[in-house]
Amino acid sequence: MKNVIETKKLCKTFSNGGIQQHVLKNIDLEIYEGDFTIIMGASGAGKSTLLYSLSGMDKPTLGSVKFDGTEITKMNTDELAIFRRSNCGFVFQQVYLVDSMSVLDNIMAAGLLVYKDKRVLAKKAGELLKAVNIDETLWGKFPTQISGGEAQRVGIARSLINDPKLVFADEPTGALNSQTGKAVLDTLTKFNEKGQSIVMVTHDISSARRGNRILYVKDGEIAGECNLGKYVTGDKERHQKLNDFLATMGW
Amino acid sequence: MNKTSLLTKSNLRKNRGTSVGLFLLMVIATCLIGVSLLIFLDCYPSVSKEAVRLKGGDGYISITGNLEGFTDEKIDELIKDDTDSHYTYRNLKLTNHPVKFGNGEVVISIDISDDSAFTRPMNTFEVIKEDTSINEDYIYLPYQFNTSGGFETGDTFELTDSGKTYSYKVRGFLNVVYGGCNNTALFAVVVDNGSYKKIWDDTHAEYENINVIYDLKDGVKNGKFRINAFNDMLKVNPGAVIEGYDIDGVISNRTFIGLIIAVSFLVATSLIIAAVAMMLANSISNYIRENMKTLGALKAIGYTGNDIKFSLVIWFLIIAAIASVIGIVVAYMVMPLFASIIIGQMGVPYSVTFNLFATLIPVAFVVLFTLIVTVICANKVSKIQPIVALREGVESHNFKKNHVALDKTSLGLNTSLAMKTFFGNMKQNVITFIVLGFMIFCCVISLLLYENFSRKPKLDILATEICAGVVASDYETREDVLDYLEKRTDIKNVREIINMNVYYNDEESLFCYIVKDLSKFKNTNLCYKGRLPTYDNEIAVSGSLAKAYGFDIGDEIRIDYGDNSFNYIITGFIQTTNNGGREAIFSYKAADHIMDIDSIPGWYWFDLANESDDVNKNIEEVNRIIEECEDKYGSHIISTMNFFKMIGGAMTTFQGISVMMLIIMCSISVAVIALILYLLIKSLVYHKRKDYGIYKALGYTSGSLMLQTALSFMPAVIASAIVFSIVSYNVANPYISLFMRSFGLMKCDFVIPVPGVVAIGAGLTVVSFLLALLQTRRIKKIEAYNMLVAE
Repeated sequence: MKNVIETKKLCKTFSNGGIQQHVLKNIDLEIYEGDFTIIMGASGAGKSTLLYSLSGMDKPTLGSVKFDGTEITKMNTDELAIFRRSNCGFVFQQVYLVDSMSVLDNIMAAGLLVYKDKRVLAKKAGELLKAVNIDETLWGKFPTQISGGEAQRVGIARSLINDPKLVFADEPTGALNSQTGKAVLDTLTKFNEKGQSIVMVTHDISSARRGNRILYVKDGEIAGECNLGKYVTGDKERHQKLNDFLATMGW
Repeated sequence: MNKTSLLTKSNLRKNRGTSVGLFLLMVIATCLIGVSLLIFLDCYPSVSKEAVRLKGGDGYISITGNLEGFTDEKIDELIKDDTDSHYTYRNLKLTNHPVKFGNGEVVISIDISDDSAFTRPMNTFEVIKEDTSINEDYIYLPYQFNTSGGFETGDTFELTDSGKTYSYKVRGFLNVVYGGCNNTALFAVVVDNGSYKKIWDDTHAEYENINVIYDLKDGVKNGKFRINAFNDMLKVNPGAVIEGYDIDGVISNRTFIGLIIAVSFLVATSLIIAAVAMMLANSISNYIRENMKTLGALKAIGYTGNDIKFSLVIWFLIIAAIASVIGIVVAYMVMPLFASIIIGQMGVPYSVTFNLFATLIPVAFVVLFTLIVTVICANKVSKIQPIVALREGVESHNFKKNHVALDKTSLGLNTSLAMKTFFGNMKQNVITFIVLGFMIFCCVISLLLYENFSRKPKLDILATEICAGVVASDYETREDVLDYLEKRTDIKNVREIINMNVYYNDEESLFCYIVKDLSKFKNTNLCYKGRLPTYDNEIAVSGSLAKAYGFDIGDEIRIDYGDNSFNYIITGFIQTTNNGGREAIFSYKAADHIMDIDSIPGWYWFDLANESDDVNKNIEEVNRIIEECEDKYGSHIISTMNFFKMIGGAMTTFQGISVMMLIIMCSISVAVIALILYLLIKSLVYHKRKDYGIYKALGYTSGSLMLQTALSFMPAVIASAIVFSIVSYNVANPYISLFMRSFGLMKCDFVIPVPGVVAIGAGLTVVSFLLALLQTRRIKKIEAYNMLVAE
């Protein structure tokens, strides 16, 4: 399988008042194309730091991150921004839509960074919004005028507008109730089934079940890995395998 | 430490940028008010104070010509009933004498005294600076020769009379009440006793001049006194030439151009202060908005609205108090610069002194204004519920319209997003529009002053009539000289204009232009209401005289000259800044009612047939014409004037002032725009920091976001530049005339060069964009990751 990301001795250290805190320690890792990779771990384990280091959102202290063969740790802030445009999609826990823009404009604002033809882009944005079950009547609304679940699905549509090589999702259901959270996960799963590579941080087991590969982060290191195989609704054996893995990790 | 000081300290610590921005705006505001008040309350009164200190009295009378019969006793007898004290002395007076001054020359009367001038009991001369190593053939010149005439001690100064040149070394400069300024028609000088005797002997005392300095008794009006005294003196000897000025007129002449420019400065300053005040209110309001969450937390833990309000008031008052004190100190520090410009025109020594009102008023204004604005804005805090404040004061968003839909707009991405920001920040746009507009207006006023007082001096402000040159011939040759001039092909529009002092109803002396053919009068702006006189029973008088005595067009006015008087009908009002605003104009035929117009010399004003754009060429041309006249008519030519040459001398002082004004106003405008953009952009970036984080996460670069933000200000900036350039162009003249009325300029028609206005509008637009771009650099510091982990 082709890898999208490859890290070598990835380290991240925070320094606060002269006290150094090693959040990520010498992580060697590969993320593969087409995978729905789940990063799990306890609070403060370093899973979000790992996610943002992989995506070029944050700079590691040491080590290498190769994204599709390109070393991204040497890039400056603007080069990383340009890199993210077409390579990464992001789904955040807090959604982070621009409040002063309509639903459609939020997607267009991301797409226009890559697409030059507005008509083609607008058509694609509409298709994506439909694909994440956002009714056309909501496209002109502002983020504060739609529900949290709808906003998160708009966030997913936005993350996919530029056909990224990888979508990074950081606790996308963390701020949602179980029903709307499930709809969001269904959407992500649907896109993964169509071939979209996804890396998702979560501490929710039911969310983690959607992934085919589970990475467990503990004290800044990858403590363990579990391959669950393709997601099938109601596959109890798969659920049990995940539970057993997490139990061995001390979850 | 009590809870208020805890909160105040926290405010100061947390909001350093805003504090510094507001602090600088307050410093500028206090400084500008302080400088304006110091000019009016400390600098200008110094002319009056010096007049009192040097015992200038209430005025002076100068008697020249045939002095037979004018003994000290006779003069005493004529004026003793109306005066408390007077002092008579004799010296020499050269009338209409050209002297080098600044970039040109002035034709002016020169009052020459010996060293007794330093010990007179009245109108005492005082040496301001001197070089005592110069001991012979020396001259003391009025201080204005040093401040704006371009002279230093040791320089050579020449007087030429009847082909004979007297050369002196400048030994020093004088502080004098009368004859200290080129606008008072007289320069008073002192030469060493040997040199004085030499001129006296050479001229056979032909230029002997009797000066009478007087102090009037209470209740005696200066104008009426002078009229009576003049008439009585003419009875002693009708061959005497009698002139005189009251002290108020002299002070007014010494200060009026500087005052015009100072008033313009104050007008511009008031607009800057208005802009600063508006920004101050906006910043305080923004602070409360930005800190809503903290305020909510404080309320939640038990602080009352009044506790928070009080801490805000204390915070802003601390800034205002420190800034206003520093601002007034800065005002005193920069005042010598302004003073040096103004005293250049006044010719009076001045050093800045402490003035209580000029110190307290700016400080009190800034502190009180801040207090009022803070209390009003802080009232919002009392009304906010803690939970609402914790949600940053936003209960629900209320976006009415999705401006510039990205799927439909034809604009580029950066421009589209800039327009979204523009439409989402109308308050910011209004402030930018108004502030930039005010600054454009200030700069246009400065441009107007520069254009009309420096680059192309508008002489019809200074002179009632303008021409290229004047030739005056005696009674015997007046017809011949007129014929000779009219036949010359190198000059045109030869017109006969005589200046005489006449009187209104024994009350006021009027400087009168007696014109043979008013259709040849060149200054078309002279009459601002009604029309110039045509018939022999008509007269036009100055607007300020009409206002003082309640005259309207169509009213009759009695004009006296000697023992003759006639009632004329007022046909119009003229504007003038000269002679204390007391001027009139009528025709030869009209003058014939009160004087024998045929027996007086001929004064011929002419224009060049082919005027060049090169002033030096014009000067040479007029010189040539005058020399040819003098060669032909010799001593029959009693006076000449080269107007082009005079312009340089007369305008020297004003040029420096107006150039400095333009530089100062443009600099202040850029500084105010920079500070205001700083505060607006700081606030904007703070409010949009989450959006900027999202944009960065999506892949927007810092440069792109900076450009978008700077561009979002441009619609307001461009609209303001266009609107206020047009408004300023059309409104500057009527606006300035509101303030100029008191100086006799009832209708301002200053030239405002369109390219200059366009340059100001375009220049400030570009400067605003660059400043905005510079100040959006703080966007670089926003990182998407920080936004994510902060939640």
